[in-house]
Amino acid sequence: MTALALPGRLRAPGLLLMLAVMLGGFAFATRDFTTPGNLLNILLQSSVLLLIALPMTFVILTEGLDLSIGAVLSLCSVALAQTALATGSFMAALSVALLVGGLIGALNGGLVAYLRIPPFVATLGTLGVAQSLALIVTGGQSVTGLPDSVLFVYGGSVLGVRVPILLMIAAYALMHTLLYRTRFGSYVFALGGNREALTLAGVPWRRILVMVYVLAGAWAGLAGLLMAGRLNSGHPTAGIGMEFDAIAAVALGGTSFERGNGWLMGTLLGVLTIGILRNGLNLLAVSSALQVCCIGLLVILTFTLEAFRTQTP
Amino acid sequence: MTAAAAPSRPALPPELIRLLMRVAAVLVIGLALSVLSGAFLSVVNLVNVLRQAALLFFMSSGLTLVVITAGLDLSVGATIGLAACLAGTVIKSTGDPWLGVAAALSVGAAVGLLNGMMVSLLRIPSFIATYGMLWVLQGLTYTFMAGSTVYGFPRGFRQLGNGYLIGIPIPVLLMAALLLVGTLFAQRSVWGQQITMIGANPMAARLSGVPVKRRLILVYTLSGLTAGFAALVFLARLDSAEADIGGALTLPAIAAVLIGGTSLFGGVGTLTGTFVGALLLTLVLNGMNLLHVEGNWQPLVTGLIIIAAVWLDLRGHRIRS
Amino acid sequence: MKRTALIAMALAMTAATAPRALADGETIAVLTKNQTNPFFQAERVGAAKAAADMHAKALQYVPTQPDSIPEQMSQIDDVVTKKPDAIVMVPVDYKAMIAGVQKINAANIPVVNVTDRSAGGDFVAFVGADDYSIAKATGEVLLKAMGGKGDVIIIEGVRGAATAQDRLRGFKDAIAEFPGAKLVDSQPGNYQRLQAMQVMENLLQSNPNVAGVMAANDAMAIGAMDALADANSKALIVGINGTKEAVDAIKAGKMLASGDYNGFVQGCIGTMIAIRYLRHEPVPKKVTQPSVVVEKSNLGPYDVPVDQRSCPTWDQVPQN
Repeated sequence: MTALALPGRLRAPGLLLMLAVMLGGFAFATRDFTTPGNLLNILLQSSVLLLIALPMTFVILTEGLDLSIGAVLSLCSVALAQTALATGSFMAALSVALLVGGLIGALNGGLVAYLRIPPFVATLGTLGVAQSLALIVTGGQSVTGLPDSVLFVYGGSVLGVRVPILLMIAAYALMHTLLYRTRFGSYVFALGGNREALTLAGVPWRRILVMVYVLAGAWAGLAGLLMAGRLNSGHPTAGIGMEFDAIAAVALGGTSFERGNGWLMGTLLGVLTIGILRNGLNLLAVSSALQVCCIGLLVILTFTLEAFRTQTP
Repeated sequence: MTAAAAPSRPALPPELIRLLMRVAAVLVIGLALSVLSGAFLSVVNLVNVLRQAALLFFMSSGLTLVVITAGLDLSVGATIGLAACLAGTVIKSTGDPWLGVAAALSVGAAVGLLNGMMVSLLRIPSFIATYGMLWVLQGLTYTFMAGSTVYGFPRGFRQLGNGYLIGIPIPVLLMAALLLVGTLFAQRSVWGQQITMIGANPMAARLSGVPVKRRLILVYTLSGLTAGFAALVFLARLDSAEADIGGALTLPAIAAVLIGGTSLFGGVGTLTGTFVGALLLTLVLNGMNLLHVEGNWQPLVTGLIIIAAVWLDLRGHRIRS
Repeated sequence: MKRTALIAMALAMTAATAPRALADGETIAVLTKNQTNPFFQAERVGAAKAAADMHAKALQYVPTQPDSIPEQMSQIDDVVTKKPDAIVMVPVDYKAMIAGVQKINAANIPVVNVTDRSAGGDFVAFVGADDYSIAKATGEVLLKAMGGKGDVIIIEGVRGAATAQDRLRGFKDAIAEFPGAKLVDSQPGNYQRLQAMQVMENLLQSNPNVAGVMAANDAMAIGAMDALADANSKALIVGINGTKEAVDAIKAGKMLASGDYNGFVQGCIGTMIAIRYLRHEPVPKKVTQPSVVVEKSNLGPYDVPVDQRSCPTWDQVPQN
């Protein structure tokens, strides 16, 4: 089979194809899909996932993984909720979220970079730690009655644009700049593709690796804030399973698990693809069991299409 | 990292040392538990622990081979769920346990075959391929079971999970057998050695004529097959199957493999290590129950022990090298 | 003449296509927590039966990730977009889903709360059972059969789930009523059969003389039951749900009793209320299922698989 002749810049064509097919298919199948309200919903529903998928891209670029990010999100949502209830201060709540997330991120980074524990194991362990902390601190219950400032983060609008959308734009802009325009970003790529070069150049790569995980943790904190705004509460298991969605989004977007190859825009597209799929299936009232199958098929089909693209004749 | 001074007598092979260190870790935990809890050291409890570990080991055994090739099989739990539900339904409707056995093993092998083909022929990263497969299998199981439970199997079949032979639970005997056969395969047979080489140095493997694609497919098929086998033991032990039994099983299975010293980078790992890893995880749960560790604390304890176990293991490995 | 006929036809057609005032064909969106727990499957079956009986349509929405709060939130978004005539809902979390209920309220879609009582939002009615009372009644049955004395072990549900907490309270209060009985251990089985079995195995080591076991649901009760049988323990065991499997175990004398926590009936009644409300018929604000403990003596009606049961008729519904 001859390789498809595609322009070199076109990354993740399988994903783009799936995205196009789904958009077309859902738009055709139900009028509810293309209403402005529904399209807005898709973006809003994808916002929390994007905030953790972007830093996950960085982590995966370093040939790592962060399995704890969902649990950290939950823990931060709970911590910030309790802070908000106790102090009434939005800034205090935000700081706590970022701090708690950053601390666990630092723990992850320390385990991976200094103790050299494989990221899968290290973050699997911290997943348990974060999950337990969240359950213990709340007794398993939601923390409700949050101040309006927190609710505003999900429900409010600035200049007519919903805050989560603004957050998504800001997050993407920030991470894009960080990855492609700063030295830190080039180090991130090198950590995955060419760690020896960093050592030879005398770059303190361990510190940088820790920073990558701290970044992930901090974003998990911000995502926890967004989630708390959405649920009007902090919940100890709100983020369960999101780490796998994030990893899937990153992989769908063309970032590979080895060799430090990555595409941040691909992560954004991956997140949107997942959001569109779930939304469309709900609108079509597809049975839940079948939805579960479709999600798996999305992943497999996208990669199968990619495979045919790279087949050598 | 300073090199140790050369010993005056021949050193034990490093693999054996690592194994002994892991066994030592298990013994330390066992010792601590017997001091902290009067109930730990009874024969019944230890037999229970072994049997619980056997269930975990079955799942992790094929998975070990996959990880040795630097891959991962996230669909193990979901395969068990589907295989158990199918086999259970077949046994209930036909009354013939052997048909159920055939069903579980064929489903497991088929899933493994598909995974293997995706990884080796389509070159889809194993994490992604098996993740997608996980969802597909789970969806199929939900559809198939429609929220119901299948239960009440013939007594003979249930011996597979509950029976004893010469005083030892049958799952434990099966575990010993699988451990023996698996270790011989992995370390003594040509195929096993080729599989290890694929993980350690894929380029060298290819250059020395190893049919890499075929071996990869084999490895994933074996993973699926052992998952199918595990499904049968679960089915017999629980005397039932429901759609969600596989959900909580995958991460512990992977943890057992990793604690056992198999590296995600491939080329290193033994089934004995996985057995020790499974034993360790089971001891932790046993200990938490006996010591009345509150439910909310259990993920933390388990998480910390996983990290500690792997760290100690790696440390030991590095000191030697 | 012809013109009048045309106008009459046009008017008739408009009336025929007017959406809201129909007495048939209403769409009811049913939201449940997960696909894995047979309780919710029974609820879905009940809802579908009630809808079919009343010539309406039930659409089922279940999170793909069991008990996922954000996923149910998204499903609420998507359901509201489709504008069903009414919603019947089991909130994944009784506090965290309030924001979702408010969204449904804002869209003016009538919603009935089933099973887990939401801590906020406007509902047409609440249909549920009282986890606390059922657990207490079931615990009392066990303790009476134990002669009021002996060691008791509790196998808890998922920590943090409202049902698990209320059932735990109910069990503990039942034990408190019998001074001769003592709670020796309480560990989570997370509503899972395998986990409960292994936990029971482990707990038997420290409590070999346990006389009674209270499990927060039937799946765990049966798992624990098998562990007890393996150890040749004479302990009596009770569960909650009243599933067919539990009923079979009670018939065989392996299990003592199970608290009736009947998803099927709740699904029926919740949907019936939603449809009646749409048809401007009177409905109660709250329907609480009575606490019935299923034992050998009264298991007849529970011995029928869920698919073959019929919904209760409206006069059978307690109008409290």
